[in-house]
Amino acid sequence: MPPSIHPVHLITVLRQKSLTPVIVFLTSRRSCDEAFQAFESTTETLPQARQDVITNVLAELTAAYPSIQDHPLRQMVTVHGVAAHHAGHLPSWKIAIEELMRRGCLDAVFATTTLAAGVDFPARTVVLTQSGVRRDQDFSDLTVAEVSQISGRAGRRSKDSVGFALVTPSPYMDLGVLTRGLTGRPEPVDSQFIISYPMVLNLLKAHPVDHIQSILAKSFAQYQMNAQAATLEHRIDKLQAKLESYQPRECSDWLTQWSAYDHATRQATQKLQARRHHPPEVRARLPFLTPGRVVAFSRFRGVVLRRYRSKGQHHEMVTVLRNGGTVAECPVADITGVVDHAFDFAPAPAFPWAAPEALSWLEQQLGELPKQLPAIALPPPATDDGTGELVKSLGDLFPCPTCPCRPTCAKEFKAGNTVKQEWLHHTRTVQSLRTGLWHKFQERADTLHDLGYLDPTYKLTDDGEWARLIRIDFSLLITEMIRAHAFDAITPGALAGIMACISYENDRPGSFPRISPAMAGLIATTRRMATSLAPHDDPPLLRADVGGLAERWVGDTTVTWPQLCRSTSMAEGDIYRLLSRTLEYLSQVHQLRATHPDLASIAAEALSRIRRGVLEELP
Amino acid sequence: MTRDELERALAELPFRLLRRLARTIAGPPAMRMGKRRIIHTIMAAAETNQARIEAAIRTHQAEQHAIAAVPSTPAEAAADPKAGKPADLGSFLEGIGVPEPRPFVPDDWQVEAVDALERGDVIVSVPTGSGKTYVAVEATRRAMREERTIVYTSPLKALSNTKFTEFSKVFGPESVGIITGDRRDNPNAPILIMTTEILRNLLYDAAGGEIDVRLDTLGLVILDESQFLGDPERGVVWEETIIFCPSQARMLLLSASIGNPQELAAWLTSIRPNPCHLIRHQRRSVPLRAGYLHPNGKLTPLFRTVAMPPSPSQAILHPEAKRLFTMYEEDASYGSRRSG
Repeated sequence: MPPSIHPVHLITVLRQKSLTPVIVFLTSRRSCDEAFQAFESTTETLPQARQDVITNVLAELTAAYPSIQDHPLRQMVTVHGVAAHHAGHLPSWKIAIEELMRRGCLDAVFATTTLAAGVDFPARTVVLTQSGVRRDQDFSDLTVAEVSQISGRAGRRSKDSVGFALVTPSPYMDLGVLTRGLTGRPEPVDSQFIISYPMVLNLLKAHPVDHIQSILAKSFAQYQMNAQAATLEHRIDKLQAKLESYQPRECSDWLTQWSAYDHATRQATQKLQARRHHPPEVRARLPFLTPGRVVAFSRFRGVVLRRYRSKGQHHEMVTVLRNGGTVAECPVADITGVVDHAFDFAPAPAFPWAAPEALSWLEQQLGELPKQLPAIALPPPATDDGTGELVKSLGDLFPCPTCPCRPTCAKEFKAGNTVKQEWLHHTRTVQSLRTGLWHKFQERADTLHDLGYLDPTYKLTDDGEWARLIRIDFSLLITEMIRAHAFDAITPGALAGIMACISYENDRPGSFPRISPAMAGLIATTRRMATSLAPHDDPPLLRADVGGLAERWVGDTTVTWPQLCRSTSMAEGDIYRLLSRTLEYLSQVHQLRATHPDLASIAAEALSRIRRGVLEELP
Repeated sequence: MTRDELERALAELPFRLLRRLARTIAGPPAMRMGKRRIIHTIMAAAETNQARIEAAIRTHQAEQHAIAAVPSTPAEAAADPKAGKPADLGSFLEGIGVPEPRPFVPDDWQVEAVDALERGDVIVSVPTGSGKTYVAVEATRRAMREERTIVYTSPLKALSNTKFTEFSKVFGPESVGIITGDRRDNPNAPILIMTTEILRNLLYDAAGGEIDVRLDTLGLVILDESQFLGDPERGVVWEETIIFCPSQARMLLLSASIGNPQELAAWLTSIRPNPCHLIRHQRRSVPLRAGYLHPNGKLTPLFRTVAMPPSPSQAILHPEAKRLFTMYEEDASYGSRRSG
């Protein structure tokens, strides 16, 4: 693979062409860090004046965010005027980089594409090194909206008269995707409305059940589905007009009638065919092929010794004694003529199907037969193709076989049926588009009723009253755990740990501290509960290791942030995100003060313990 | 010509000519040979074939001169993107730098958006970085004058923090509050910054009878990055917020360029008491140019025209960018075959 451009070289070129400051978008966090590290070995540094500016800005920010103070990358950023910016960093450090960029102190930032949607800092130039992005372990093309988000960072208002989006080749580059992305129209935004359990509970708390349908009708999802339904209804109207030409005939709904008849005919014919395995001429011969009968083949004549069916295909076969004394197996279909002559002999039960002396006698007789012998006149094969039989068998059930419309029906059925099926299909689709949301809501509500959160009239029960306050993913799992008293007398550390397990959906691998036995037991209980709820709600990932991390941070308040980071291979930013999500979940549990005071106070304790050090810096 | 001169002249030749030359003097080149390797092959046999190589270079140069001499009328060039000379690097890099400082004058659409809020809800769908914040700030200023509560929501905590700082600078720290899951800084301030999830929860509580936010004084709800409505996991929260938003409050949806803003506007009009006004445009406040940077440091425009082509069908790659990229890809497939 030829190398993509070296980061130091890239920045040098852009500096020469005065295209800095620049944001370079790379595929992964690692490539961002590597690009940044590449500057370590360069001797080229920023002029002292600019270094001082950076130092001052950082010092200014340190007041608000103390964790910047001893950040290991601080020195390199100051000296080289470049930085890496991705989700693996602490928010405070990212804020510092963004601020430096906004003030024009840095020449380059290496960032992942996820940055484009998140924050707002512009540059003169953006560099795109890939046309794809990793999504859920998959690599897919950047959408037009994403490319325009990225290229939107190029050109700072009132600081640049023109912005640049530069493309540089790499193994992950498809110019076609980027051309579309840079010049195309962004994708439409489609509704992602899903009916969740907390939504059902909260809606039913505020509104009587008969109002729900009209509330759901106000969603963008319903609006878009209505638009789809309207298009389909237009189509249905057209189909309806087409169906007019297939009006009632002898019977009121001849299409259905014929379709049933057609089906029955086809099945019956199939059955008949299975029975009539042999062509008619073969069947006509069969009664004559008794042992001793002389039959003619195209090349020779022979005496039938026995008749049987072949094992695999069940062909009708005969064993014949040929002139010359050989015994051969021949299919009945190969027989060209049945001679009006038969010998009388005693058949034997096993090969060669006759006593040796009988065989030699037969052979002798066969040789002595005259060349020309009268053949048996076989009855002509029946011309019956089964229709007569069908008429007989289906005539009782259907009027069709004798109906005067039969030829017309047979002719028009195919076209008419296509139209009718399409009409049916669209009608059903429209129905589900119009009422799908409501049905989904009912399904959810029924589950909640079964679990005891709703009474039969869809009013909230006592459990429902507090359960509606948990408005996060996996709310059903958490409320069920609370009802099962799984969190009784839990330590703040373990509560934080289990919330971390439930909340963390990232499967980026890592190695982690050991978890306490209590925690392990709790996770096992949660997993059992999640499995039992699986028909109603997808189970969470439940990574035990992240639970251990959160438990350590909350359980032991003497643990410092660097110590916590050292105990795992997770990036700082990921740990921060894990803990702040845990915070969110715990604060939801804390909402249950009124009904679960003990649990709420444990959650409050966990909350206050989480909020220290780095996690205190941002609101 | 010396060896060096010859090598440089060869590098100027198009790939197609080089291959033909290599074939005549050194036999058929390998199918996937990169340009550098072909030149290498030619140079290896240069001793005996110098005259032939020089002749080829001269012919090519003469052709180039002839092409350059034919003038193309600007009218033609404008009519057909394929016609005319492709943009050169000089005009591509022209105008780089800091524009003259001008007193800030809001764009027409910005004024229009703020005015339209008087009459109903507004959706703003404009490219990134064209000044949506101005609209948010002006709208907030007006609502504050009427002593109303303003809620500003963003999808991410990080963005909430940025906006918190920004609004504190404009309106003073005492009038801006921030609400997160477990913390409330200055929750009685007229301007409240929060994530969309928090606002949705407040609206739930209000509907359930527990008035938490001063919903009766709520005058303006600003939903930043509203394109998150289409987010597979969190989009539903935006939808709920819009559905449950009190009818007396105005909604201001700020969004990046999206494909169907008119559909969103029609939806809002259908469920909200006042009609929704749509502000959209594709014009960037700072013009954008696309370039191609080769790993060897060579920079060329990406498209034939300096300005961005208006649609993918009119986007024609700059011949030089195309040539360099093809070369890169050929090297890539050669390299991968050798290593594999």
